[in-house]
This record gives sequence, structure tokens and C-alpha cells, in this order.
Amino acid sequence: MREHGAHGAPYMDRFDVGLGAHGAPYSNLVGCAVRTALLALALITTHANAEEYSFDLSEIEKKTFEFSGYAEAKQEALTLRPDSVLSRINFPGREHLDRGTATLELAGVWNLPQAVFNLRTHSEIAHDQSDSVDLHRIQEGGLHWAPSHEFSLDLGKRVQRWGKGYAWNPVGFVERAKDPNDPQTSREGFVMAGAEWVKSLAGPLTTISVTTLVVPTHDDWNSDFGAPGHTNPAAKLYLLWHDTDIDVLWQGKGSRPARFGFDFSRNLGENLELHGEWARSLDQPRTEVDALGAVTQSSGDADSWLLGLRYLTETEVTWIAEYYRNGTGYSADQLEDFYRYADAALNAGGAAAIQAASLTRSGYGRANPGRDYAYLRASIKDPFDVLYLTPAISAIVNLDDGGFTLTPELAYTGITNLELRGRLVYTHGDHYSEFGEKPNRRRFEVYARWYF
Amino acid sequence: MKTLLTLLLGLLVLLSPPAFALDGDAILRQVDRNLEPESYEMYRKLINIEPDGRKKEFVLYSVKKGRDKVAALFLSPASEKGRATLRLGDNMWLYIPGVGKPVRITSLQSVIGGVFNNADILRLDYTEEYAVASAKEEGADYILELKAKTGAVAYDRLKMRVDRKTVLPRVIEASAASGMLIKTITFKNVKDFGGGIRRPATVETESPVFKGYKSVMLYSQLKRRSVPDEVFTQNWLSRLEELRK
Repeated sequence: MREHGAHGAPYMDRFDVGLGAHGAPYSNLVGCAVRTALLALALITTHANAEEYSFDLSEIEKKTFEFSGYAEAKQEALTLRPDSVLSRINFPGREHLDRGTATLELAGVWNLPQAVFNLRTHSEIAHDQSDSVDLHRIQEGGLHWAPSHEFSLDLGKRVQRWGKGYAWNPVGFVERAKDPNDPQTSREGFVMAGAEWVKSLAGPLTTISVTTLVVPTHDDWNSDFGAPGHTNPAAKLYLLWHDTDIDVLWQGKGSRPARFGFDFSRNLGENLELHGEWARSLDQPRTEVDALGAVTQSSGDADSWLLGLRYLTETEVTWIAEYYRNGTGYSADQLEDFYRYADAALNAGGAAAIQAASLTRSGYGRANPGRDYAYLRASIKDPFDVLYLTPAISAIVNLDDGGFTLTPELAYTGITNLELRGRLVYTHGDHYSEFGEKPNRRRFEVYARWYF
Repeated sequence: MKTLLTLLLGLLVLLSPPAFALDGDAILRQVDRNLEPESYEMYRKLINIEPDGRKKEFVLYSVKKGRDKVAALFLSPASEKGRATLRLGDNMWLYIPGVGKPVRITSLQSVIGGVFNNADILRLDYTEEYAVASAKEEGADYILELKAKTGAVAYDRLKMRVDRKTVLPRVIEASAASGMLIKTITFKNVKDFGGGIRRPATVETESPVFKGYKSVMLYSQLKRRSVPDEVFTQNWLSRLEELRK
């Protein structure tokens, strides 16, 4: 069954009026021929337009089983820093690296009256001049059961996204670390059980919801969440109060230190949004290395917070600006000490080099191990009257040492179900600073992603 | 005799009913109810048409309840499937499945690109967002000049041409506070959706900002339906598919 839009009868009416107005000067024969030809053209046009504007009801039919996913081909060209610590550990002896990656993500959904089973898998094969690696994992999957519209239960591998920050989330207690350079990349979940209750109210408190989770760790699953043998309870209270989103969040002590915090988000005007997060980790363990390689272990409470805004200009430029205070981060001097030590240890080789490599996988190896950061992103939608084109540029600055990463990018989504994206990631910093020690000086990547 | 006639005429004028003044608010309320029931579900197809004739189509499922609650779920194309938007009064959120958390958006942003913005997709009743500044009759139409009640509304002024017979809009010109025309919205193809709902099934939008581009919205399966209030929460943005039958 098809339902047709306006380009059927109304176009015919308009055409007929025009023909009447121009019909008089012609002889009957010529007029008749022209009339017939134009009528035929109009019928063809009308049919084409009607086809253009059709709405097939099969497009909205709900399916019990759904299957979807995407296939992606990505090519990267990396210009490495051969003398940086991280490059010497990860890409020893290399100055350039060309890497091709093929990714396939498959998703299946089984819709039942009160429950949904879903599964999303992720497979990728990467190949460069020296190595080929492939990985296959379940991104998320499990059962969602909703006995009522207010209450639901979840069991399985689930992705939680806590916090309001765009580049960082200090309150992201039960999720894998976000890549600030590509914050919207989908991430793998953790195996968990969760319950959620939500209630809408009249008055200034419009919505209240409570989410409770347990994220058990075991040798065979959630091993990267932390030490095995813990239940790891967590909870979130969400309020929409006076048009402001507010979350109060907590994660109990277990595989990770106990943490709690809050976040908020509010529109200050039709084009301006303000958001923030604050989190405290209790007895957070900390490893420090001085320039001579002396390792100090300590623990203490650490506060991390973020304040940001999103602003849309009249010219359709979206600005995102954030300041991030990383309470568990290292100062510029502490990072310099570590990189000096690691550099010397790698020169010495042997056990010292192994220890240095091990320490880069501790707090020093995080995407952003420093203390104070600024994030700025500007993106413009559909510039120069080109629909679906989005140029953007983003910058992450380590405010303690002035190093930065700059990422101009271009995305195009004008072809149905095809996403094309190219970007250059350029890092700059002094020797023995965070960004000066990143393995890549430049990384150029392009990808094509086809959704089905 | 002349004096008596004058008195009679004067009495007639005094006793005759006053000239009927147009009630713009009542007309606008009627336009709202004729377009959609206050609480409903419906399907829409959005078609962005480029100057060279290329098209991109999106299919959405929408639910609305009361004066200020509306949510929409993208059903196709595959690249957008599962995206959902929610509006509670002036608050709007966008949920993208891969990103996983709802983020606040503004009414002027566009979740799909092109002429449509979020306010067009998550439209509330006109009476909710606009006050009638003036109303007059012009031929077979009413002409309503509307002014946004707050600065959070996407278009500061609307000039609405309403068919007097059906009390349905025919053309709306949307302008910024500066007076600049942003969009012209044309309503076509009045259709009976059943249940007493009879409204235009096609809405075309053109904008001088996007010269040569056009967006078309096709309506289908518009029905009265009242879903629980909890559906209009961030928690339900990833679950809107559960509402579909």
C-alpha cells in the first residue's frame, strides 16, 4: 500500500491552467498535438513525482527480528616520533607507518512484547608494514525486560555512558575510557545486571529516575574493569529539576576505589548549553616515578571536575569548550621526570626497559595523564550550501606545559547509508612533555563506513 | 416624521449586534487541533531534495502527549536508525545509539541536515509557542501574524495563511526577529487519516537560506494515542521502539 504526496493532482491542476492560457494562439491541429505531447509529459512527470513522494507502509512495519550493522574500511598514514618514549616502545625503529583496517560490526535484535534481546559484535583486521592483528569481541548484548513503563531490568554486556562532558567524563565510573580525540566512537560494554525506575512528575521536579548496577569481576569476564572477585555496585539518581539535568552518581569500593560525584547540564538560552561534572575518588592509589627511576606508591582522595559549554552561532557553527581538572593526573614536572627516566631506561635496556614499558601502561599511559586541560571544537553544518558536509576542527591543550593536539576533519554523509570522513591529527609539544612524547607526530586517516 | 425616522434608525444601530471581531486565538487553537490531536502517534517521511534533484529520505515515528511532550525515533535510513529526540517544553535532547547518552540540543540545530531543524521535527502546538499579534480575513483565508512567546522558540515570527473553510494552514512564512524570512512552509494534499483527523498529508519547506533546496514531510498513520508520561524521559530515548505496534 502506498500513500502519495502532493505532487499528484495539484501539479496536474497547475499544468492545465497554464495550457489553457497558452492554447488560444495555436491552430487546432498544432494546439491539439502540443496539448497531447504536454499532457503526456505531464503524466510522466506526475508519475515520476508521485513515485518520488511515496511513503510505503512496509517502511514502518515493526519486525520481530532485526538485523543491522556497518562495514568500514580505514586507511591511516602515521608519521612517528622515533625518539619518543612511547614510539620506541610501541613502534621501535619506525619513522612511518601505513595501516589499513577493515571493521565489521553486526547487530541483531529480537523484539518480544515486554522484552528485547540484543547482540552487537565487533570484528576488525588491521595490517601495517610489520604486523597484522585481528580482534573479535561482543560489544554489547543481553536481555532488557520491562514489566512496566516505570521499571526495567537489564542483564548482559551493557554500555553505560555517565556524565555530561564531551571530551572527558570524570563521573564515567562504569565504562571504558573515552578517547578525547574521538569521543563519539562506540565503546565496548561491561557485563552487568541493572535495574531502572523512572517517574514523571508535575511541578519543577519533572523527572526522577534511579539506576542501580552490579558489575561483577571474574577471571573470565570484566577482567579489565579491575581485580577479580568483586561485585562492584554502582548507582545513579537522575533529576530533571527546573529544566536542569542533574545526576548524583556513586560506585562502591571493589575492583576500583570508591567514587562518587555529580553532573549537570542546562540550556542557558536557545543556543547556549552549560554542563559540568565533579567526582571524588577515595583512597585512589597513585604511582610516581622520579627522573632516577625511584617508584613511589601512595594513595589519597582525588577530585576531578569539568566545566563546559556548547554554543551554536547564527552561522550554524557549533562551539564546544571544556576545561578539565584531572585529580589523578601528573604535573608537567612529574611527567618530565617520568619521560627522562623511561628514555634512559630504554637506552640501558634489560630489566630497566621492561619496567619503563610496564609503567607506561600504568597512569602514565592514559590518553591524557596530565592535570589541566582545555578542549575546543568548532564544527559547521552544511557550509557553502553543501548539505551533509561537516568540517570541524578540535584542539586539546595541556595547560601545564602548552603542548597540544590539533585535529581538522571533514565528514560527508550525503549518500544514503554511507559515511565518509577524513582527518589529520597533529600533535605538538616539547621533548619530555605529554604531547611531545606521543608516538605520532601526525596521523592522517580516511575511512568509508557503509551502514546496512 | 424625519425625526422619528432618525430615532428609529439610531435605535436599530444601537440594538444591532456589534461587528464580529476575529478571534485569532480561537482560530489558532482550532488550527492546532485540526492538524493533530493533543496526544497522538504518527509516522513521517522527511525528504531533503537538493538542487540537482538528489534526495535523502528519513522515516520517523513520533509520539506526543499534552501541550509540551514530544519524542521522535528514526526508523531509517540504516545510518540513522535508533536515533531519538525528545522535547519537554523548551528542553530538547538527542540520543545517538553508538554514543549512548542523551545530549542536550537546541531548537535551531538540525539533527539531519538540510532545511528541517529540531523544532520542525519536534513541533509543539502553535498556541504553546506563539501569541497571535493580529488576525484578519483576506479572500478565502485568515491571515494570522504570530509572535514567539519566548526567545527559545526557533522562529520569532510566523505569518500563517489559514483556509477559512477547513481552518487548516495553507502557507506559513517563518521569520527571524530581524524580519528576515527563514522558511516558507506549504501545506498540501489534505487527507482523511480516520478517527475524525483530516489534515494536509504533505508539508513542503523551502528556505532562502538554502537556495534551490527543498524539504518535504509526508504524514502517515496519524492516530490518537496517549502513552505514559514516563515515555517522555531521557531513560526512554533508547526504548522508543517498544511503543511501536
